[in-house]
Amino acid sequence: MNSQIFHPFVLPFVLGMAFVLTYCLVGLVRVISQLPKDDRKKFWHSLVTPKTAWANIRDLFGDCLFHVKIWKRNPVLGYMHTAIAFGWFMIIVIGHVMLFTLKPLQGIEVEGLQGMFTNFYYPIFFKYFAEETPVFAFLMDFFLLMIISGILIAVVKKIHSKIVGVKRVMHFGFADSLIRFALWTIFPFRLIAEKTNIMAFWWLYSIDLLIFMCMLPFTRYMHIPTEALFILLRHAGIKVTEPRKGYALAELYSCPSCGLCIDACPMSVNDKMSGNTSAYFMKKLRNKDTEESQRIAETCLMCGKCVMICPLSIESCDIKFSQRASVPYNINSDHSYLFCHSERSEESQTNNQKPRVLYFAGCMTQLTPKIMRAMKQIMEAADEEYQFMDENGGICCGRPMMLSGKTAEAKAMVEKNTELIKKSGATKLVLSCPICYKVFKEEYHLEGIEIQHHTQYIDDLVKAGKLKLNKGDVNYVYHDPCELGRAFGVYDEPREVLENVGNLKKAKSEKELSICCGGSLGSFTLTQQERDEITANSVNDLMFNNPDEIVTACPLCLKTFARKSPVKVKDIAEVTAESL
Amino acid sequence: MDFGFCLSPSSHVKMDSVDLTTFNRLKETNPDVNTCIACGSCTATCTAGNFTEMSFRRLLLMLQRGKEDEAKKMIQRCMLCGKCTLVCPRGINIRKILLDITR
Amino acid sequence: MKENILIIGGGAAGMEAATQLQKMGLTPIIIEKSETLGGHIAQWDRLFPAFHPAKDVVDKMLDQVKGVKTYLNTEVIDIQKDNDGFHAVLSNKQKIDAKAVILATGFDIFKAERKQEYGYGIYNNVMTSVELEKFFRTGKDERINNPKKIGFVHCVGARDVKVCNTYCSKVCCTTALKQACEIKEVFPDAEVYTFYMDLRMFGPGYEDLYLKTQKDFDVKCVRGRVCEVSEDMDGKLVIKAEDTLFGKPLKMTLDVLILMCAMEKNKSINPIQQKLGITDNSDGFMQNKDMYLGMNSTAQDGVFVAGACTAPKSLPDTIGEARSVATQVYNYINR
Repeated sequence: MNSQIFHPFVLPFVLGMAFVLTYCLVGLVRVISQLPKDDRKKFWHSLVTPKTAWANIRDLFGDCLFHVKIWKRNPVLGYMHTAIAFGWFMIIVIGHVMLFTLKPLQGIEVEGLQGMFTNFYYPIFFKYFAEETPVFAFLMDFFLLMIISGILIAVVKKIHSKIVGVKRVMHFGFADSLIRFALWTIFPFRLIAEKTNIMAFWWLYSIDLLIFMCMLPFTRYMHIPTEALFILLRHAGIKVTEPRKGYALAELYSCPSCGLCIDACPMSVNDKMSGNTSAYFMKKLRNKDTEESQRIAETCLMCGKCVMICPLSIESCDIKFSQRASVPYNINSDHSYLFCHSERSEESQTNNQKPRVLYFAGCMTQLTPKIMRAMKQIMEAADEEYQFMDENGGICCGRPMMLSGKTAEAKAMVEKNTELIKKSGATKLVLSCPICYKVFKEEYHLEGIEIQHHTQYIDDLVKAGKLKLNKGDVNYVYHDPCELGRAFGVYDEPREVLENVGNLKKAKSEKELSICCGGSLGSFTLTQQERDEITANSVNDLMFNNPDEIVTACPLCLKTFARKSPVKVKDIAEVTAESL
Repeated sequence: MDFGFCLSPSSHVKMDSVDLTTFNRLKETNPDVNTCIACGSCTATCTAGNFTEMSFRRLLLMLQRGKEDEAKKMIQRCMLCGKCTLVCPRGINIRKILLDITR
Repeated sequence: MKENILIIGGGAAGMEAATQLQKMGLTPIIIEKSETLGGHIAQWDRLFPAFHPAKDVVDKMLDQVKGVKTYLNTEVIDIQKDNDGFHAVLSNKQKIDAKAVILATGFDIFKAERKQEYGYGIYNNVMTSVELEKFFRTGKDERINNPKKIGFVHCVGARDVKVCNTYCSKVCCTTALKQACEIKEVFPDAEVYTFYMDLRMFGPGYEDLYLKTQKDFDVKCVRGRVCEVSEDMDGKLVIKAEDTLFGKPLKMTLDVLILMCAMEKNKSINPIQQKLGITDNSDGFMQNKDMYLGMNSTAQDGVFVAGACTAPKSLPDTIGEARSVATQVYNYINR
């Protein structure tokens, strides 16, 4: 064969590429075939729906190539990832552009199958086989240097991660270290080969590619091909059903083990607990370490911060829930008793016909009577027609059952509560517990009934002029409960209420970055001491600007903080009632 | 022969022959089970206890007195809400123990 | 031999230690942050187990310390140690040199608001054992309005990880029974319940008090921890507990609920304690050398401890420790 169109050093690359393409194709078919039938339909449909198609294109570029979310959190890391991913993407693109523009010009035409074979590796080794024009040469060098600059940052991060603002990094095994080394050297080898044309470097470059591609499916770098599929599936609105199948599988392989969730996780207060973070969970589950992934799934507080911080928004909490559900508990709950007791809730309804507002305190709020009293004061001050749904105890909202993966049992409770709520005739349901709020919002079908957490309700009452608040000079800091903030973006309402009653100070980490109080019942296994460490760290963060009082909007956060806080901890309802 | 009465089985808890396998297994992963002071907070606050016989305090005793079947029957009432864990003055992770019993 | 001994705290421990040291020929100096001597015990009406008036004891103690140099409304704001002994600066700018220091800073009462589920500060008719004692002394408390049903909750802020206090506060059980009898004396028609987990009647005559409580005063002791308190339409308190002996959850309506608040370390001494290099023990009280022969000594040579600053203690315990600390100090000065 003409030395201008072939040299044996392309073979390692060709082999590697063929392997990786085959593997990805098989994987793609596997993931799609594992999707439930409805989801598969949804997926095909989403590809041709203009709205999702546009979102796909936007996120394929934004997330896979430019890493917009990393840029927002940490520009240095953002540059690192963009330089490598986008730079690499560009040299492949430019290689192909050159293939189709320069090759014919230079008179190297090969027909048929042999031509196709040539085209396969030609762009990768272009400089060896043909001349680049100055513009292309400049572009190639530019992007190659860009990649190398990104790799330099990666090396710095590996040696001393704190320089690039990362406290804790993942610890990797041999395979991951080897492939990382291969990745780091691919581009310097290519640069040297192109500049010196020493044959050894062309070989090294090609062998590096072989190593990289052969190891790719078995390491975290599998995220490169998988995340594209994951983005498409996500936009199709598919949800996790099983921990290692279909959509979840795509998510598992999309996790780049970048470790951003490690520093974000409230459990990362010490080295031991930082092993409970999502990055490790995903890795263990990917490697089919069921015992360890089950352990992490049960330890997780389910605060959702890792999902929020994840460059790809991988829904690790959903996977953890499905992992929990995959281990059979022998509780075949019998809740038939719930239905014998409906009369007790009904008797209280007779004395107050058709209230506008139905207030459901929830079981946790029963342990924080200050919130209930404050809510009563507020509703009375605003002259609201309200009914207290569970003053004498009520049925659980169902969330705990769902948390432990017992969907059917949860449904029984949901149905009973729905019946009670609909019977009341109220048009608004107000909840004091963010956990209940989440469940009522997501799992209940209460058409015609507005569901609000009391932060939103109080804010509405203030804005409608129904509550007159006196502004004092207390400095408050607001803690965003996970289920209210990250889950529903209720950030502004409580802050606006607080600005009406005092001065609002900022916490070190706020809103979507707020740190779980440590009391979350999402975790099954954390011990009291471990929780205490998490709480202390969260309190420290809130005390950043020396507030006089910590305000929150969740009975569980309230109780948890009260144990460790140097200042008073109050619920937003209490603070509001105090300034009436 | 009919003596006009019959011997009913002794109502004693047979501490000599109680099967503690489940409880001992539980103890390995949750050493806290031994720290219960039987204050009854868990029972009093229990969401399911409002309607049923559910009582974690008694459940632990059942396991220690060879009434595993009764204990397992009782667990079926649990709603797993975690309030018991929240009020326990000994900080026992009750909900985890309940789940572990059923494994 | 007129060596100064600085005593921080003018409660039972401080006063008794001063009395003894003076008799030994040393010069005790009491620094008391409040405006009177006597500490918590001066706020008490009668003492368990025999309903002895607290005033009797306090008056005798006050009489004995008449000649002792005492600074009231004063705190130690700084303290240094060198070869000559201790050099303290008081909040009134005065400087005092002393050869030894006795920390007799006693305890604080657990802030009942911290146990929010009991509704103190939320519901009108929930009060603390200290407030009830004040009622016995003064006969006045607007919350106590000819009550028909009265409940006592034991271990409020004690034996409870959830408020970070795992220790037993020692005196509340006996106090609860004493107060239960007393309130029954005032309102003979009322039903009185106490909610306990273990009744720790550890001292002489205490078990007799328990007997008397049941037999003569018809106080009903229910074994179970109250875990939730709420208010009904009429402003009465509804409590939830488990009757653990009967094995069923229990709900009842009460007119008044008394919370038997635990002892916690008096934290206002923390800055001085830190300067002296004395740490806290796992219960949050001051760490003494050991609980047997070194109970009055600390990690700092020349600094001694007495009374409830090292653990919850009854009055007899405290007086005993105050006397023993005097001996320790005497031996230290004459070593």
